[in-house]
Amino acid sequence: MVRFITRRVLVGVATIIAISIIVFGLFFAVPSSPAKVMCGKNCDPASIAAVETRLGLREPIVEQYTSFMKGVFVGRTYAPGTAFERQCDAPCLGYSFRNDEPVTAILKRTVPVTISIVVGAAILWLLIGVSLGMISALRRGTLFDKIAIGISLTGASMQVFFFGLILLYGLVYATGWLDFPSYTPFTENPLKWAQGLILPWVTLGFLNSAIYARLSRAQMLETLSEDYVRTARAKGLPLGRVYTKHALRAAITPIVTIAGLDIGASLGGTFITETIFGLRGLGKETVEAVNFLNLPIVVATVLLAAVFIVVANLIVDLLYAVIDPRVRLS
Amino acid sequence: MRFKGGALVVGALAVALAAAGCSETTNDGDNGGSQEAKTQSGSISYEAADNTGPAKAVEGATKGGTLTVMQNSDFEHLDPARNYVNVQQLTANLIYRSLNGYVEDGSGKMLLVGDLATNPGTDVNKDCKVWEFKLRDGLKYEDGSAISTKDVAWGIARSFAPELNEGPHYIQQWLYPGGAYNASYKGPYEGGQMPAGIETPDDKTIKFTFAAPHCDMPYAAALPTSAPVPQAKDTKGQYDLKPFSSGPYKVKSYTRDNLLELERNPNWDANTDPIRTAYPDVYKFSFGLEQQQIAERLVADAAADQASITWGDTPPAVLPRTTGAGVAERVAKGPTQYVWYLGINNQRIKDKKIREALYYGLDRDAALKAIGGTSAGTPASTLMSPTTAGFEAYDAYNAPATGDVNKVKEILGGTTPPPLVLAHSNTPLRTAQAEAIRASLVKAGFQVTLKAIEATSYYDEVGRKNTPFDLYLHGWGSDWPTGSTIIPPLYDSREIVDEGNQNLAYFAEPSIDAEIDRIKTLSAAEQDAAWMALDKKIMTEFLPEIPAYYDATHELFGSKVGNVFLSDAFGAIQLNKIYVKP
Amino acid sequence: MTAPASAPNSPTTTDKDPYLRVNDLRVQFPTEDGVVKAVDGVSFSVERGKTLGIVGESGSGKSVTSLTIMGLHNTKRARISGEILVGGRNVVGMTEEQTRRLRGRDMAMIFQDPLSALHPYYKVGAQIAEAYKVHHPNASKAEAKKRAVDMLGRVGIPQPARRADSYPHEFSGGMRQRAMIAMALVNDPDLLIADEPTTALDVTVQAQILDLLEDLQREFNSAIIMITHDLGVVAQVADEVLVMYGGRAVEFGTVEQVMRRPQHPYTWGLLASVPSLHGDSDADLVPIKGNPPSLINLPTGCAFHPRCRYAGRNGDRSFTEVPELHQVLERGHLVACHLSEADRTKFYAEDIAPSAGVAQ
Repeated sequence: MVRFITRRVLVGVATIIAISIIVFGLFFAVPSSPAKVMCGKNCDPASIAAVETRLGLREPIVEQYTSFMKGVFVGRTYAPGTAFERQCDAPCLGYSFRNDEPVTAILKRTVPVTISIVVGAAILWLLIGVSLGMISALRRGTLFDKIAIGISLTGASMQVFFFGLILLYGLVYATGWLDFPSYTPFTENPLKWAQGLILPWVTLGFLNSAIYARLSRAQMLETLSEDYVRTARAKGLPLGRVYTKHALRAAITPIVTIAGLDIGASLGGTFITETIFGLRGLGKETVEAVNFLNLPIVVATVLLAAVFIVVANLIVDLLYAVIDPRVRLS
Repeated sequence: MRFKGGALVVGALAVALAAAGCSETTNDGDNGGSQEAKTQSGSISYEAADNTGPAKAVEGATKGGTLTVMQNSDFEHLDPARNYVNVQQLTANLIYRSLNGYVEDGSGKMLLVGDLATNPGTDVNKDCKVWEFKLRDGLKYEDGSAISTKDVAWGIARSFAPELNEGPHYIQQWLYPGGAYNASYKGPYEGGQMPAGIETPDDKTIKFTFAAPHCDMPYAAALPTSAPVPQAKDTKGQYDLKPFSSGPYKVKSYTRDNLLELERNPNWDANTDPIRTAYPDVYKFSFGLEQQQIAERLVADAAADQASITWGDTPPAVLPRTTGAGVAERVAKGPTQYVWYLGINNQRIKDKKIREALYYGLDRDAALKAIGGTSAGTPASTLMSPTTAGFEAYDAYNAPATGDVNKVKEILGGTTPPPLVLAHSNTPLRTAQAEAIRASLVKAGFQVTLKAIEATSYYDEVGRKNTPFDLYLHGWGSDWPTGSTIIPPLYDSREIVDEGNQNLAYFAEPSIDAEIDRIKTLSAAEQDAAWMALDKKIMTEFLPEIPAYYDATHELFGSKVGNVFLSDAFGAIQLNKIYVKP
Repeated sequence: MTAPASAPNSPTTTDKDPYLRVNDLRVQFPTEDGVVKAVDGVSFSVERGKTLGIVGESGSGKSVTSLTIMGLHNTKRARISGEILVGGRNVVGMTEEQTRRLRGRDMAMIFQDPLSALHPYYKVGAQIAEAYKVHHPNASKAEAKKRAVDMLGRVGIPQPARRADSYPHEFSGGMRQRAMIAMALVNDPDLLIADEPTTALDVTVQAQILDLLEDLQREFNSAIIMITHDLGVVAQVADEVLVMYGGRAVEFGTVEQVMRRPQHPYTWGLLASVPSLHGDSDADLVPIKGNPPSLINLPTGCAFHPRCRYAGRNGDRSFTEVPELHQVLERGHLVACHLSEADRTKFYAEDIAPSAGVAQ
């Protein structure tokens, strides 16, 4: 098990390093210079040159990359020896090209928003989706099953922006029943936090519930037809015990995997949801940074997204090993 | 000033969002039926009545309340040395005061007056080379300390620093003419040197000495770089986050990309300020909302949003819902200081007849429809925007907005025009527009090829003197509402350099250059009419390029906001006389 | 011993009644395409200590029969009629809870593929203990565990205490089937149904498992139903043989009778498709031509007639009349065929005997 974890962690670190190199490389393959975006209206060649020097874009790419990595682990000093000298402590991810804000501050602000959206929505979709799917599978062919399938088909074929906008029109613009979503930190006021996020939760939660309901139903049905479920019944186990102990545990395994990866990927940014509800999370920040060629933010957010996915993968692998003994050996 | 590069990029993002129910957020507006352009008058005032505080009260206005400005994205800079975007300037105008400023009341009558200064500046030798400003009595910062001209000098000095180079550099360039403004002097941080040509004999006086006449100095002194920055309060790169207040409001909190909150500066004295009424207690700027959401919320006018405005243009998807009762009266719309031109490369198309034929061939309606219809702008016939001081509408050619194919044929007289290449920025919006322009010109008998250029390098490509393109759309807006920041940069042949040109017509006419020189020596008050006359002369005699349309804006506000009008100086809702209804 | 309902019980058995008696069992599944008649009027019985082999191709109804006995069909989706008496109690019509109490205690089942039949996530010992505990609610965990280890030892798993803590995937195929058998026998069931218990195993392991079953049968005195398509297995372990085709019984008799003197052309076909150790090694195996019939649209008359080369030897009875089981030649040997006894004897002698090896 220790070897298993060590190996996965090493692979994860290697993946993240590879991604950081790719992001840097891709960014420099883009023909336009961020300095042109940053220099505002004074875009004469001299100003661009000044901005490029200031942003460190004139250094060779390898040097830029190594100073970035150095900043992450030991911190770095910007504009040393000038009036604008700035010490950026580790983990230093640099400063936004656009407004000089430390990238770590941007992450500190945006990550909790995305985490709040995703965690809330994930709880909804796992609770509703999985139980709906499981019950559907156990009551296969009944009216309950048919209604559940209908709802989940509708949900699965709907898009976040469509459903989200309908909710916005119905509950905010037209009726004023709810306030427009906003983010209040949980630590500040948990009630306001929940109130401000209810719409994105419902939107993401409902749509993903649909997907998870279908997935859970299919998984449960497949598991119910497994030989070992028949064995359990043949042993004389009561149905409840057959379903919960024997079928559910096996049926839930792939759902854990997919949920883990979904949540991991979502933490990297739920751009559409964030955009529709005007919440400034990681996704919105990333897309905006890409549009403004804001390299430090792009690198940081993409890397963070990669870390989330790698960590989610690791957790899923570990959970998998806990759930399925067959994985432990391989 | 050129249309901000970033805006083009944002456009690309916004269009990508269109599929998500959101829409293009830049540069759309509807100036509906208000085709008649406003005429500016009396641009600079030395009248004591205009230059003395307090500002004229707004009828029915009440003090107090919180005004919210809902914006798509955060400001880039509030630091006066780096502040070159209209909405940032409107905001900063509440926090810090420049030497001069504009008194506006929404009627189109805009006055340049002294802000910190007692009047818009004294032309000491009547040659526009030496300018003196005297500060008012009783000016205080947010900490109660007195405002000194030394701080104004420091503010200008620091604007030379390469690290703070984003702001306007007129005064800077005039102090250090020839070459880049900061080629020799790079600000006070290295060595503590102050720029040459600025004297502060006492705390109340500041004197600028230029090598050449600059009769525009009163306007240049209205730009943010003349705002006072006390050396002790200069946080350099961090100044953006909390400029030291010399105005009626100070920064209470600023969470980047989320919220900027301004509260009253108790040390501001209304009696020293002829410009600001400072009615609301609090200004909140909330960032990060999509323009579509902002527009929907303002249309819905829910209780929480009734004391809100936005500076963003209403997206086309929401426009139809802004015409009904209850909403229509909550729209501020009109032209901005920007004009969009179909640039013609005069180095390649030397024959005025062909340029005239192009003028008649261009379907302005189609070009506007491609970017949002009449909400995006109105057809133009002058080089300067209707917001320019001294503006007078004229139409030298009387071409219909949809073009006149017969007239094109008549002008060409059976000759075949040369094949033309039309370059355009590769954003979806500009591409669609270029296609519409091409279609109309082809219909008129021209042979036109499109050439897409990556958005961020568009102006580099067309701004290269040897650019291989014949036609290209470009926009220009003045930094202050007079012709002096429009005609000279765009049509003075001596401005043509190898790269980074703004005279994109590559128009070279010695008689016009001479006229520009002559007008520059006129007093600021006399210049307005002269620039307008030159505008008409260039159009009538040379037609170097085609004014295509005047950019328009269309901004929504809530039902509890009073005295909302578009600033002629900034092309967006003015904040300094706005109030919140109880 | 065993006999179809029509046959009288053998007086030689130790118990008065056979432990399992199936009377005119019919199992139907309504589907969108029509009603699947999976089992159509089958009757048989098995005594303690005896083994009935049920033989047939897939789809012949043999597995459905065994699952029905176990009560493992969803009564909402299967229409079941007839009578299944397990130790005198009729399983047909019982509630799920009632059959559940019988399952694993009075009757147990061994499945074909022990890898998929054992739960991959639970330890082997725990799965066996669970089977014990469910019917011995008063037993402690430790007792159940001890019982599981004992059973593992009984079925010949070395170091049973250690192996009990292994997962199924850590076992070899033969070990898994031993574990499966241990699980089935943990409650000393009176009836054990083994559904193709050796099909998924190596030949050498097959023999060991069959030996084990025989040993355990002697020890526990269980009645065993051995379901298989492998006549070799039947020959080795069964006392009596039921041949099923298209959901019906087509031949029944002792192993000796059915294997040595098969009377039904389908049985001939089955035998002909088994490689013989004694017959001519050059002789080709003769697979039964054609495919098993659709259980939704069974052929009229004798369901086997489309594949029977003797169909029509008796006028059109083969095509119109469903043959009933009736006794031929010897007592207890039943066959459902329209051929006359003389014809059968003749055809068997001429066509089948020379080429077909008969398993010992």
